[in-house]
Amino acid sequence: MKLLKPLVIVLLVLVPVALFGAQGDGMQKAKTIDELAKMYDSSTCKDCHADVHAEWEKSLHARSIFGPAEVGRTAATIKTTIENGLKDWPSSGVKKPQDVGVRHLMICAKCHLPQLIEAEDSVAQEIVKNLYDFKEPGDQAAHNLQKLNIGCLVCHQRNAIIHKWKFGSPDKGAVYGSKDGEHASPDFAKMKKSPYMKESILCGQCHGQGPNFDLEEPTQCATLYGSYNFAYRADGGTETCQDCHMKKSKLGHNMQSYRAMGQLAVDMKVDAIAYQWRDVVTTTPAAYVQIDLTNKAGHAIPDG
Amino acid sequence: MVLYVTAKTKEGNVFYQDQRIYMPIPQQFGIGDKMGRGPYEKSGILRDTSLPPMRTVTEKFYIPVYKESTKDGKMSRDIITNDFTVDVELWYMPYGKKDDEGNSQMWQKVTKTLSIEKGGK
Repeated sequence: MKLLKPLVIVLLVLVPVALFGAQGDGMQKAKTIDELAKMYDSSTCKDCHADVHAEWEKSLHARSIFGPAEVGRTAATIKTTIENGLKDWPSSGVKKPQDVGVRHLMICAKCHLPQLIEAEDSVAQEIVKNLYDFKEPGDQAAHNLQKLNIGCLVCHQRNAIIHKWKFGSPDKGAVYGSKDGEHASPDFAKMKKSPYMKESILCGQCHGQGPNFDLEEPTQCATLYGSYNFAYRADGGTETCQDCHMKKSKLGHNMQSYRAMGQLAVDMKVDAIAYQWRDVVTTTPAAYVQIDLTNKAGHAIPDG
Repeated sequence: MVLYVTAKTKEGNVFYQDQRIYMPIPQQFGIGDKMGRGPYEKSGILRDTSLPPMRTVTEKFYIPVYKESTKDGKMSRDIITNDFTVDVELWYMPYGKKDDEGNSQMWQKVTKTLSIEKGGK
C-alpha cells in the first residue's frame, strides 16, 4: 500500500501529460490571447512576403473569429452559440458565459481558430469576455478578437499535413509550400513541400462537408467541400478551390467568398414579353418573364 | 439568396411581386422536421434549393396586368397599365434580411420595359 499511493500519483500526473503532449506536440499551452497570437504570429512573414501578407490582411482569414471588419458577424454568431446553444443545453456544463472553456469554443474554433486547442481555458474565457464586450467595430474588444486568426502558419504549417500517419506530423520548424528547400527565416529555417498545398482538400479541412461528427456536439457551418466533391466533381468539374479563389479571381491570398465573388459566380439572363390573351369575350393582358440563373462555381450557392 | 420579381407602372406603383429562395434548409440537430438556425444547431439537410454547380436553374413568372371584377354576373379584366417595367433582382442575404448593411448584397439586377398595345379587337 505504501508503494501503491506514490505510484498512483505518478500515473495521474504522467498519463495526462502523455495524452495532451501528443496532441499539443509537447508544447506549453497558451494562457492568454496574446500568447496564442504569438504562437501563430505571422508578422515576420511580412518582411519577405509583403504582397502576400497585404492580400491576406484583406481576407476573412485575417479576422476569422471576428468576421467582416465592418460588422463582426462571426463574433456575434459565436456569442449566439453561447447564449442560445451552450447555456440552453443541459449537458454542456455551461450555465453562464464564465463556464465556457476551450472544449466548448472548439465547436466553432475547429475551423475559425483551430489552434485554440493549444490554449488553456483562460484563453477561452478571454475570448468570451471580448465577445460580450464587443459593441462596435474598432473598439478594444474587436481589436483583441482580431489578434486571433487563420494566419500563415495555420495553412502553411499546422494544417499543411492532413494524413499524418503517411506524411508525418507538421514540422514546427518548417513552413510548408510547394517545394522543399531552405527558408530565410530564423524561426522557420526549412521550407517543406506539402502534397496538399494546391489541392482542394487543404481548404476542405474547414470549408466542410456537413455535420462535424468528430465534435462532442456536432456543428454544421460550411458545406462547400461536400458540394464540391459530390456535385461539382461528380458532375465532371476539374478545377480546385485555389484555381478560382486565388488564381482566376486574381485575389491571391485575399481569398474571398460570397461577398466579393457572388456576382462573378452567378449569371442571370432575363427574357420578358408582354401580350394579350384573348378568348371569346375576355382580353387578358399579361407578361411572361423567364430567368435563367447559372452557377459557374465549383459548389452550390449558397451553402451551409 | 433571393430572386425578386417586381412589376411597376411608369408612376412606380407596384402591381406584382414574387420571389424565389435559394438555400440549403438545414435540419435542427439532424432530427425531426424543424429547420436549424445557427451552426450550433444545424446538422444535415431537410431540403436544398440552392443553385447547384455548373447547372442553369430556370424560373418562370406569369404576371397578370389586370384587375378582375364581376359586374351583373359578368367577369371582366381591366388593364392596369399599358407601359410598365419588370425589375429582376438577385440578392445575397446571409441572415435573411435585405435591410442588413454589410451583410446583404444585390448581386444582379435587370430591368425590362414592356408595353401592351392599345386598341384593336
